[in-house]
Amino acid sequence: MIKTEKILHLKSYRGRRVRVVREHYLRERVPCFSSLCQAACANDGKVLPGDLTHYVVPGVEVVVNFLEILEFRELQGVIFTQTACQALQSKGRRCYSRLRNLVKDPRHDCVLFANEFQEHSYRPREKGESHEQWQTRCVYEAAVWYYNHLAGMMSIVMVTEDEDVVSRFSNLNSGVFVVTFKDYLQNFWPDLQAAHELYGSISQALQEKESEDTQKEFCEHLPTEVLAAGIKSGRYIQGILNVSKHRAQNEAFVANDDISNKNSDLIGGVLVYGVRNRNRAVHGDSVVLELLPRSEWRGKVTALTEGPVDERTGGDSESKPMPTGRVVGVLQRNWRDYVVTFPPREGTQSRNSQRILVIPWDRRIPKIRISTQQADVLQDHRVVVRIDSWESTSLYPSGHSVRVLGRAGELETEVQTILIENCIHVPPFSEAQLREMPSTSATKPWTVDPVQVSKRRDLRETHLVFSIDPRGCEDVDDTLSVRRLPGGSLLELGVHIADVTHFVSEGSLTDLEARSRATTYYLADRRYDMLPAVLSADLCSLLGGVDRYAMSVLWELDVQTMAVAKVWFGRTLIRSSYQLHYELAQALLNGEEAEVPELAQLASEERDGKLAELVEALETLTHVARHLRAQRDCGGALELEGVEVRAQLDEKRNITALVPRQPLEVHETVAECMIYANHWVARKIQEVFPYQALLRRHPPPRQELFGQLVDTAQARGFSIDTSTNKALADSLNRAVDPRDPLVNRLLRMMATQAMSQAVYFSTGSEPEDQFFHYGLALDRYTHFTSPIRRYADMVVHRLLTAALATEQGAEPVEAPAGNKEMEELAEHINNKNRAAQRAQNLSIGLFQCLFFKERDPETDPRCVAGAVIYSIRDNGVLVFVPEYGVKGPVYLKNKEGQVVSVGPDGTCEWQSGSVQRHSDHIRTTSACGSATFRLFDHITVRVSVLSSSCHSDTLNMEVISNKPHRSSSTPQQVSSQGRNQLVQEVVRLAEEAQKETRKPKLSREEREFRQSKTPNLYSLLEEIRELSLLDPETEPRPPEGTQVDT
Amino acid sequence: MAGIELLSDQGYRLDGRKATELRKVQARLGVFAQADGSAYLEQGNTKVLAVVYGPHEMRGSRSRTLHDRAVINCQYSMATFSTAERKRRPHGDRKSTEMSLHLKQTFEAAVMTQLFPRSQIDIYVKILQSDGGNYSVCVNAATLAVIDAGIPMRDYVCACTVGFVDETPLADLCYAEESGGVSSLALALLPRGGQIALVQMDARLHQDHLEALIEAATTACKGVSKVLDEVVRQHLQEASVLTGE
Repeated sequence: MIKTEKILHLKSYRGRRVRVVREHYLRERVPCFSSLCQAACANDGKVLPGDLTHYVVPGVEVVVNFLEILEFRELQGVIFTQTACQALQSKGRRCYSRLRNLVKDPRHDCVLFANEFQEHSYRPREKGESHEQWQTRCVYEAAVWYYNHLAGMMSIVMVTEDEDVVSRFSNLNSGVFVVTFKDYLQNFWPDLQAAHELYGSISQALQEKESEDTQKEFCEHLPTEVLAAGIKSGRYIQGILNVSKHRAQNEAFVANDDISNKNSDLIGGVLVYGVRNRNRAVHGDSVVLELLPRSEWRGKVTALTEGPVDERTGGDSESKPMPTGRVVGVLQRNWRDYVVTFPPREGTQSRNSQRILVIPWDRRIPKIRISTQQADVLQDHRVVVRIDSWESTSLYPSGHSVRVLGRAGELETEVQTILIENCIHVPPFSEAQLREMPSTSATKPWTVDPVQVSKRRDLRETHLVFSIDPRGCEDVDDTLSVRRLPGGSLLELGVHIADVTHFVSEGSLTDLEARSRATTYYLADRRYDMLPAVLSADLCSLLGGVDRYAMSVLWELDVQTMAVAKVWFGRTLIRSSYQLHYELAQALLNGEEAEVPELAQLASEERDGKLAELVEALETLTHVARHLRAQRDCGGALELEGVEVRAQLDEKRNITALVPRQPLEVHETVAECMIYANHWVARKIQEVFPYQALLRRHPPPRQELFGQLVDTAQARGFSIDTSTNKALADSLNRAVDPRDPLVNRLLRMMATQAMSQAVYFSTGSEPEDQFFHYGLALDRYTHFTSPIRRYADMVVHRLLTAALATEQGAEPVEAPAGNKEMEELAEHINNKNRAAQRAQNLSIGLFQCLFFKERDPETDPRCVAGAVIYSIRDNGVLVFVPEYGVKGPVYLKNKEGQVVSVGPDGTCEWQSGSVQRHSDHIRTTSACGSATFRLFDHITVRVSVLSSSCHSDTLNMEVISNKPHRSSSTPQQVSSQGRNQLVQEVVRLAEEAQKETRKPKLSREEREFRQSKTPNLYSLLEEIRELSLLDPETEPRPPEGTQVDT
Repeated sequence: MAGIELLSDQGYRLDGRKATELRKVQARLGVFAQADGSAYLEQGNTKVLAVVYGPHEMRGSRSRTLHDRAVINCQYSMATFSTAERKRRPHGDRKSTEMSLHLKQTFEAAVMTQLFPRSQIDIYVKILQSDGGNYSVCVNAATLAVIDAGIPMRDYVCACTVGFVDETPLADLCYAEESGGVSSLALALLPRGGQIALVQMDARLHQDHLEALIEAATTACKGVSKVLDEVVRQHLQEASVLTGE
């Protein structure tokens, strides 16, 4: 079976050279993963097709340097050797995991061959042979083995970078060709322009690296062993480097990974001050720090600074000194694709036109040096680059360009920039993916399969099923039913969710695509669906009047106590009778006259009967939901976020929301049923799969984050109790200023920001007491109800199916993923959700800027708006503009040292003077007297755009009066209209602009990426919710409530 | 945690084995004529010499004498050249004392000591080359030596070290794997009855995985016992040919 062989390694360990003997087992059978295999290898998983002209075996240096090119899906039949894989492993774990993912991904036509474990392809290293030579020989032998193994039916091409290798090996064997990578690309893939460009750009970067001068700019990083030992002994601190957005030049923070064992000083994180101390670490890297002596500790700057020009002036005040350190090593680089802008040509760069310093769009990333021939052409264009390395001899990291996005400032370029900066990759669905979809057309509509009908519980006749969604919703993924069971003492409540996993089987191309997207992305003007439209808007959408597959949860509840007597989970077949929207449902509940479209055709008698039936169902549902809500309230469910959203929804729908705290009850009813379903499904899957269920938890917030909230509330005389979720909810409810409803809204926003984020996790990797959901006050929670737009729900659906199968004693078709895999998946989904959130905010910001850019701030009345002060800083205040939902800084002291002085009529102008900051107000003193700005004061600001060629534009606000804006008494109506128009107007302008400038080629391409262009109502709602919840300064912390209820 | 990949996606370990495959085992019985029983065993690159004296009268202090069974005396030592760096290894250090104790416990469970009251059995094992799984290899070698000495045992005692990586149990760890941060478990088994003579584990492991791990260890031990059995039969055949029976 196995033959043993020994190899000798000389390894240096602790400085000494040590002789290590390791065993090396070789075997006869190593799977070749080719469909041409004659020897019946155990090829499970993906195999290389047999209809290619050749297989390509890249050499070690090709894999190490040009992996990016090998990632092109167009390259087919790639065989990675174990030798190359190991070489890549020594380069860094990130590169290696990229290769691993590549091999795992069935969309890429590549396999990994364990050549060093194959009896005939393994060659021991000979005496005097260099490591590189040996590797080359190993790869070549692997290529020869393949040729022989496939009985000469396939030619093998080995690509290398070394001309000597080509001359040495190319004539040894017919059928095995050895060519350089450049020749290979030119001869075999002459049309793959992108690959050629990438090749040029990478090889140029490599050459540059060799000719680097040797003057040291930074300290060398310490070797990994020293770092590991230092971390263990507590001498060094490990963490993720987080560069400050506002002072990217100087300030960066490292949040401590494990607070528990460190002294209390470090809880707030460690400051890394200056570029030299940062020592070549880039935002997001996992770094190792050494603390500086206490005398060198410094505080962070609290004054507001203005945009990109970020020079420190002497008089800036600092907070109290915090632990400060310097980076001694980088454990893990976390580089991604960066969008950069080529600077306009200036005298300083002309000396060497090939090496250009480009400016990343993300301010936290340092300038990147790249070599290119196209610097002139690419001026003011946005380009995607990757960082290759950052040597200690260079002030800047060096990189290479990957692809050009387009001219800066154009709408399409900017949207693509946002997507890439958030690592969102949404190509149009490929044909292969669409082929997997069931076919449906107007002439030949999709019908239910009789086999499925027999397997599923048929609810078409027995249950009155209906859906309640926002108006105009396309993807209906949840429906409800409720009925009284015979006997009268039991109610049956049903939640029916679209059975997406029936159509998308695990591991299919569509599934993989959905997994990598993880969620549907909603941008301000468009949407990128997670699933192809045929599923999301048709077959999986539980539309009215058609038969659909569903995944149902049915509870039998006691009529009086609402105690659960029985729960049933399973696959069903339903036909939704009514597709209601929220307003209609509420109108029916209120007993108002309302037109139900489904009943419009019927005769009046029949109609009345059906209407009564529907209204009764709705009433029962409301009744049940009230009970469920009350149950959760006892546990301390947080009302907080829900209110926020409902207030926004009110605004949107132009209900004169004088009392924003009275939302439609039907929202809550639907949300409550969904929460209930999610909760029960969570319980179910956790019971059956205690260590690999995907749940969602919401950890309690850290008390210190509530500081700002408590202080701010104090200024208005409210006390906020943050000890428990219930106390917090109660005290927020009390903190209402009858004269100013905005006060409560702002306080709730701050509370929302203090919350930690709810995350997905696998039950095997957290202790059971951490499963708790703080916001909803439930011990277990998951996402089950929106499989069309969230991948997590699809995972949960599969888990539930497997759980049901296990329970019935049958072996599940496929065992669910293990804990580790599930945890990885949860992490992936969490990341993607965060990215989606950020992209959404950025795109909204982008549209705001584009909107204001078209207007002259001096003349256009729409640029003047009312604002409320919600935070005080050293040289200004932070304000919230309810009309546009914008938050931002307002400076009371400018760079020339002038301050705002207020005239007798309230108008403001700049004069020299001074500013004093107090806890709840800020006072400016000048020749004309002094003025005070207090928390929650209403002022008037002028909004203008601060444009920037390299970064995103930002909104600039300037105080023009300390009196409330005259029209700010009716902000609610204005804003909703304004928002809608804003998006449309910007889209229209952008299109016009494109028509004028004879459509550039690039933007037409980009246009194809758009999947649904018209903004639907849902996305608008979401967007508005975001607007008012987010502070541009902090990370978005989306509220839980809204993610639940739709 | 940084570290090498112990189990690749294709299911290969560092040295090319699959998760459940054992290292190559080679053994010889009766390598020394002077002792009552002796054996040499290689399991991969771990090489062990085991020697058995006895049963004989109590030596040294008579007070340790047991009146109903034999006393088993074990001594474990490592050669100075057994690891990558030469190191003087004095007798009686903590590690080898512990190992000796474990061996003693293992063999008290397997050897039918009640047949030899008031006597003593000495088992000496020496690691010539160490490459992981020292305890298990010692047990396996000592079993052969005891058999060579003709001392009756209930069954072979077979031992194996298993580790747990990526939710997969790895059988028969080598040194690189043992030092790579794996939670490892050593198990000594009487394979025919499936009785466990000794389990030892000093790493952290979720208790739900323990069952799977022990299961894997049992399978591995049975594999070892098959090999040992073959070696013994082979030896017997050779011996009988030599003595002309």
